Amino acid sequence: MNQIASAKPKDYKSAVKPIWCPGCGHFSVLNAITKAFAGLGIDKDDTVLVSGIGCSSRLPAYVDSYGFHGVHGRGLAIAQGLKVARPDLTVIALGGDGDGFSIGGNHFIHACRRNVNMTYIAMDNEVYGMTKGQASPTTAADWDHSKLTPHGPGVRPFKPAALALASGAPWIARGYSGNPNQMARLIAEAIEHPGFSFVHVLSQCITFCPEQTDWKAVVNERDEPALADADEAARMFLHENGFQTGVLYNAARSVWPPEQVELQSADITEGFRL
Amino acid sequence: MSNQQLGDFLAHSVELESEARERYLELAEAMTGHHNTEVAEFFGRMAEESRLHLKEVAEIAEGKALPDLKAWEFDWPEEESPETASYEAVHYRMSLRQAMLLALGNERAAEKFYRSFADSSTDEETRRLAAQFSAEEASHAAQLVKMLGKLPPDENHHLEEDDDPHMPE
Repeated sequence: MNQIASAKPKDYKSAVKPIWCPGCGHFSVLNAITKAFAGLGIDKDDTVLVSGIGCSSRLPAYVDSYGFHGVHGRGLAIAQGLKVARPDLTVIALGGDGDGFSIGGNHFIHACRRNVNMTYIAMDNEVYGMTKGQASPTTAADWDHSKLTPHGPGVRPFKPAALALASGAPWIARGYSGNPNQMARLIAEAIEHPGFSFVHVLSQCITFCPEQTDWKAVVNERDEPALADADEAARMFLHENGFQTGVLYNAARSVWPPEQVELQSADITEGFRL
Repeated sequence: MSNQQLGDFLAHSVELESEARERYLELAEAMTGHHNTEVAEFFGRMAEESRLHLKEVAEIAEGKALPDLKAWEFDWPEEESPETASYEAVHYRMSLRQAMLLALGNERAAEKFYRSFADSSTDEETRRLAAQFSAEEASHAAQLVKMLGKLPPDENHHLEEDDDPHMPE
């Protein structure tokens, strides 16, 4: 990763202006990303943001780096292919809860399992906002604010961190859009982690889920160091309230693809020896 | 030690004003995109006020040794710098009164932040500048209170979405 000295967060913003609703948590994620880039001195020419479809997936257009606004749920597939082909690049995939855990759910669990050296930021507002407020895979079972689910979706929401852990993700953090400075630190740590790093962001949708403005009162920063034991982490993710932030799990795992050792002619000769 | 205190204070001051300006600009642009013109214009004016204050602080800080802090290394009383409008406090249908009350809260938070340096720093120059900045924020707050006094009360104002979700017939 090449580094640029003394770039400011605003230097990483593009000239395209976000069209998100004022108050949307995704503004905070955009600011956290540019702050993380400035903090790390990231070279924007060596950085690619890849997204799927949805409000949050518009984000690559707002950052002055390379970007790819991909197909619904397929941001992770594109990003992994890119990172494998160009390991020298800093690759970040982004998207929302519908894009990542429903349409792209299969790509998510396999990205966790595969452990390519890249970062995935999921902006979770528990709703499909772009299509005007339908229940998503992380919507509470009794959320009855949409006329499409007048009695609530009636099914258990996914716990993204638990799902990531069960699928093999080696590094899991949670941020909150009300705290972009902490989120910037988490994203910087995620980028520096050698392997697949998953940042689950509680990012409020003030238009279709105005009750999420109350998250501020329940979000709490985890004081303890990240867990390294998967059993312990599984217990925590299954029983927590989902509002603790910080690096929650960090375990060493070998990345994919494994480093190829370039064969020398002497090795080939040795290989063909009878 | 004094130089370190002054440098630290000025680094925080520059960041505070810079963050305030960028957030107000961002909000002004977003409100314009959502056709809330009067709130967009108000946030635009607040961004300009912050730009002027940033210019003043940056001129004072010029040539002084400021620590090079990353965004998460600043020591703020809350999650963000005090004069920065919190995202969850904003709505695209907010009224001008609500926008002014939000800005008033920001000005008072900044005043309190600077006042804390003025009251606690052991460095004379830091205390003097902090008291000056605090007084400027107090004057901005007083102007906003005056403007709020002239505004008619919000009537029948609601934030809820009028447009129902699409429903299959």
